[in-house]
Amino acid sequence: MPVRKFRSIEEMKRDHPIWRRPGDPLLYRAMALVWEVARRTNPRRFPPGVHKYRSIQEMDRAQAQVLAEHIAALRRQRQGE
Amino acid sequence: MDFDVLKRVLAALESRGVKYTIFGAVALNLHGLARATEDLDIFIAPEDLNIDRLKLALRDVYDDPEIEHITAGDLLGEYPAVEYNPPEGAFHIDILTRLGDAFTFADLEIERVPYDDLIVSVVSPRTLYKMKKDTVRPKDRIDADWLRHRFNLEHD
Repeated sequence: MPVRKFRSIEEMKRDHPIWRRPGDPLLYRAMALVWEVARRTNPRRFPPGVHKYRSIQEMDRAQAQVLAEHIAALRRQRQGE
Repeated sequence: MDFDVLKRVLAALESRGVKYTIFGAVALNLHGLARATEDLDIFIAPEDLNIDRLKLALRDVYDDPEIEHITAGDLLGEYPAVEYNPPEGAFHIDILTRLGDAFTFADLEIERVPYDDLIVSVVSPRTLYKMKKDTVRPKDRIDADWLRHRFNLEHD
């Protein structure tokens, strides 16, 4: 798939993505490929174990914090290179 | 997310007879849009026995004593949202028994759809749209918009 560039989120939203039908082998190939690329380009390590929250909002906030720490660590790593 | 690891988790949920349904980004993938994600979101029926089955399923995949910390007391009580991060730490499984006052397991429209050679339980596109459309995260609102266009869903 070629690289596609957008000037805004609104422009991206107008350009609908490629949908496939459930059961289409190409869908599962695309999922495996997209997930593999994401893992290789942005490897994450989530703190192992069980984490409990009183609501999905509380869980979202905690996960956003972990993501922010991940991004900060990446920035530090890249600035040190 | 690793395609084969996820398949092992879903196969275990199926073989242990867990009453579950997938929502979130994996559901979007299964309805036809391949996009990156780092978590599996599952809603489970809020029953003691079902939570026991869930733990057995996770133990089938992961030899991890931490799984014992997932308890019915929590999921049916004060902690309806539990995040389980397997030992390798590459993705997480978010387990819900209710979503505020908006959704319980009984409220969800569930479909059986293929995941490679498995058949798994996923919320319908309409339910997924309803779950995503009012959230604060921009990516959820974009997902909701794509779902609405793809499945001709009405604005609520």
